[in-house]
Amino acid sequence: MATKFEGKVKAIPEMPPKEIEEMRNTMEFVSRKVIAENIERMKITWPNRPKTMQYFDEISNFFGQRVEEIRAQKEAGKKIIGYSCMFAPIELILAADAIPVRIDSGWYDTAKLGDTIVPVEVCPVIRSNIGTQMVNLSPYLELSDAIIIPLTCDGRTKLSEILRDDKTVWTMCPPRIKDSLQSRKLWVEEVKAVKEKIEDLTGTEITGKTLRSAIEITQRASKAFRRLQEIRKGNPVIMGRDSMLVNQTSTWDDIKRWTQKTEELCDELENRIEQKNWACSPDTPRVMVTGTPMIWPDNWKIPNLIEESSPHGVIVVDELCSGDRLLYDPVGVDEWTMSDMMDALAERYILASTCPCFTSEHGNEDRINWLLDRVTEYRVDGVIYYVIRGCILYAMEYARIKRLLDSMDVPVYYLDTEYTREDVGQMKTRVEAFLEMLETRVALREVK
Amino acid sequence: MVTCSRRRITMTEIIAEILRATIIAGIILAGILAILIWIKDQTKKISYLRVFIQIAAVPVIFLGLIIGPFGLPQFPPVGNAPRDAVVGTNIFGAPFPDGLSVPVLACYYPSGRTVTCPIWQIQGYIFPFWNTGLGFGWGVFYTTTGLERLAIVFGLVIGMSIVLGRFFCGWVCPFGLYMDLIIRLRKTFKKRYWKLSERVNIGLRQLRYVIIAAFLILSFVFGTQAIIGLQLVPGTERGEYVYSYFSAPFCQICPVKPLSVLVESALGLMDFTFVFSNTKGLLYEAGYYVTSLNVAVLVLVTIGAFAFRRFWCRICPLGGLISIFNRFPPFKWVSGVRLNKIEEKCTKCGICKRVCPPQVTEVYEEKGGDVTSPGCILCFRCVEMCPYENCLEIRVAGKPIYKSRSWLKGLK
Amino acid sequence: MIAAGIDIGTQSAKVAILKGGEVLSRSLALCGFNPKEAAEKAFKEALRKARLSFDNVEHITATGAGAAKATNSDSTISMVGADAQAGAYFFPSARTVIDVGAEEARAVSCDENGNMLDFVLNSRCAAGAGTFIEAMARALEVELEELGPLSLKAEKASPINASCVIFSESDVVSLIHRQEPKPEIARAIYDAMADRISSMVHRLGIKPHVVLVGGVAKDVGFVTSLKRKLHTELLIPEGPVFAGSVGAALTAGKRIG
Repeated sequence: MATKFEGKVKAIPEMPPKEIEEMRNTMEFVSRKVIAENIERMKITWPNRPKTMQYFDEISNFFGQRVEEIRAQKEAGKKIIGYSCMFAPIELILAADAIPVRIDSGWYDTAKLGDTIVPVEVCPVIRSNIGTQMVNLSPYLELSDAIIIPLTCDGRTKLSEILRDDKTVWTMCPPRIKDSLQSRKLWVEEVKAVKEKIEDLTGTEITGKTLRSAIEITQRASKAFRRLQEIRKGNPVIMGRDSMLVNQTSTWDDIKRWTQKTEELCDELENRIEQKNWACSPDTPRVMVTGTPMIWPDNWKIPNLIEESSPHGVIVVDELCSGDRLLYDPVGVDEWTMSDMMDALAERYILASTCPCFTSEHGNEDRINWLLDRVTEYRVDGVIYYVIRGCILYAMEYARIKRLLDSMDVPVYYLDTEYTREDVGQMKTRVEAFLEMLETRVALREVK
Repeated sequence: MVTCSRRRITMTEIIAEILRATIIAGIILAGILAILIWIKDQTKKISYLRVFIQIAAVPVIFLGLIIGPFGLPQFPPVGNAPRDAVVGTNIFGAPFPDGLSVPVLACYYPSGRTVTCPIWQIQGYIFPFWNTGLGFGWGVFYTTTGLERLAIVFGLVIGMSIVLGRFFCGWVCPFGLYMDLIIRLRKTFKKRYWKLSERVNIGLRQLRYVIIAAFLILSFVFGTQAIIGLQLVPGTERGEYVYSYFSAPFCQICPVKPLSVLVESALGLMDFTFVFSNTKGLLYEAGYYVTSLNVAVLVLVTIGAFAFRRFWCRICPLGGLISIFNRFPPFKWVSGVRLNKIEEKCTKCGICKRVCPPQVTEVYEEKGGDVTSPGCILCFRCVEMCPYENCLEIRVAGKPIYKSRSWLKGLK
Repeated sequence: MIAAGIDIGTQSAKVAILKGGEVLSRSLALCGFNPKEAAEKAFKEALRKARLSFDNVEHITATGAGAAKATNSDSTISMVGADAQAGAYFFPSARTVIDVGAEEARAVSCDENGNMLDFVLNSRCAAGAGTFIEAMARALEVELEELGPLSLKAEKASPINASCVIFSESDVVSLIHRQEPKPEIARAIYDAMADRISSMVHRLGIKPHVVLVGGVAKDVGFVTSLKRKLHTELLIPEGPVFAGSVGAALTAGKRIG
């Protein structure tokens, strides 16, 4: 006999509030420890760390100052719009006087929790997000009035459905082929649709003026961002992890303030260049990391290993959507009319992106070009190709990229890992062996 | 230099003239330097420079020798037609009686003819001025044959096309300036621009060559009497209908003619009443230099230019002519000004394609190397707006003279 | 110039002492529950054999999974780095070194000076290392030392699942119940392992000559299967289990001063 369901069927089962509270408290405790520990480790590796970095340390604390600010602004009536990935148009959120904040999860413990809902083969970032939602670990996720999720991969497509049970989720459909005529039309329509949703939620109309000032804000952020990346081209005056932290804080912080602080940091770093005050020896092997995102705080595992093992390397550039790809491409507006601004916005988010979730009418050439360019510009000694287990997109690109880097005589190492602390030992062996190899190559090169 | 002065020129006047020329050159140079130094916004610097040079080019083209050195016209008026008082060239002697052929739309008809539209010259020297030997043209006296004159015109056009290509279109052509001013007018009203679909755009680009072929063939058909001794079309004798009103067939529909005529009339260099003294033609109203077809095309092109940026440039046969001698082999291999792309720096962000006024796509589609397209007017907008260092560059004779740089650095 | 290398593996700790770049003495001790003690024991034994005291040793380099436990060492080096050094030391023409230990298998490309140029490690599964053979010997109820010679008697191999130690073990048991001849099962076991090692080495690219080291290199069954899969001769030094410690000692020698 068929029964009628009362209410909706959710993916996440109801849990007793006490249990949620307990788990959350434990995980928050661990998370605070990990955040403090990671920052401590960065300080140990770089004893001469500039004072300006303290600001970024504070913002990187998920349970600290920034959350309080956002909470206060929410109480004052502002809307918080969370987003996943990096294809959500932040400028529209800023133009509507709302607060954008990235909600991708970097916690290992919640990934285990997510295992109870979805299989282990699913991307760890997605599982971690699910776990975070289950125990309300992320204050940003909790405070979001709406979440924009671009459906860039299968994991995110289904994650949007799971989160939809409890939160307002707006999905955007980025086309898999990013540059055909039809795709560009589709994406512009998607951006327009999201614009209307934002306007409805916030009750503020996005006018040409407000959009223009929002775009100018992000352009200035791009300028500061690029300035920092330029500095990393020379001898290492900033350690890789610190730079990655600065980059990532831009996704949670007030973007105007972040811009200002980054400019200050760059001023100080440029002073240090003149004084030749290097963060580590200039012949430290220069490492580039490419692959799936490394999200703070737990997923600092590999950067920690790279910069702390003996011999150690320095991460001079990365091709990560949690790092050097975030603000690198500016919005290029030709005429400041609404239609041109929307076109420019739409195109900036997907055409310049090197994420392998896209292919183009010419294959994935642009990612190849980008890697080639980065390797030459930053004089990279070796590349770590980092793939989170389950990410087919990055894993499948490896073959081509390995052959490219082999032809350039740049060693590349494929690191396949998970959201777990248990394989640190094995990762360490591999990273150390790779760095030893790089060090030998650097030494041999200098002899020549 | 053949001049026809009514009195002797004194030493003081020579010195004054040299001074005047130096001052004018100085002002132009100062303007260029001022723009290069003071404008910090790197997304606008080259655009401003270009507008300045376009505006500076106008007096040179149109008024250059009407005013003439020493304030004297270069030729006494030949007849009583209003235009005849404005005739002013032949500075280079017999080979250039109608003016120097520079591949810009500096209309032949009313101007002071320092610089002349080669489209008229090509048509005109086939029909009606093929005369083998001496003879009168419109207000000038030819001492060379039509074939010789054609060779000179083609030689000049081909030479300039190879060296500078459609740089003329982007930086010198006065009709280009007209369309750029329309763009600026539209921007002040904050109206958006429209885009033609890529298929239509490419179709228009190919239409250019059809137009060139059409007017060449028509001119030839009209001129068979003089060329091969056989009259195919009635009315082509001197003074007859086709001779008077249908020679240079393209010029009867060209939108630049009425624009130049109207501008010159407004400046008082031409008697306005003559412009509109009507003669009814076969298919159109013909006035003195201006036909109803001209005006209709001008109106259409103006409206089109409000919607589609640089609308005429996509269809301009003179642009097509330059493209033939600049963008197709063997000329392509020796062209002087090129747009070049460094493949590894390009992230395919699409900004170059979006900001391009004539909607050229080759700069985006081509992988690397020489990406100058037959539709490109070398306005440098793509290079100006490209946010990646050294990705796009303008090369003159192989040397990069202007590279894309991160315009973010110029932001306040 | 006296240098020492300590290799603390998962099963045993090995020590080698070199003088002037030549091996003076070697010693091995089983780790059991206390690798640190085993290392110290092996070290004392090696010193005794070389008739030296602790103070004579100028530099000690540690390697292996438990390298951090050798608290008296002056520096460390990765296993693959040590393998490259050892390979070039034992055979100057060596350009590829394969090291199959108890729980990990590695392959390294090196140059004539023993510098490591590239490396590959097995994907965290013991079905391509010594433990696999031990488990299979247990399943076949044969002594570990007898498994190799037994497999040489086979003319062909029975099919077994080579993807996981656990599955292989149950496959072996069912093959025994079906009365499959033991030599053929033994050969299948070695073939499966050689297959895994071979695909790992192919990811690196094989450059002659190829050296095989590690405890498993003494097993004739494995060596025969691997030679067959790789289609190449394998150079095996005397005392292959000491390759890691010798390599570490060579590194220590270079770091003196």
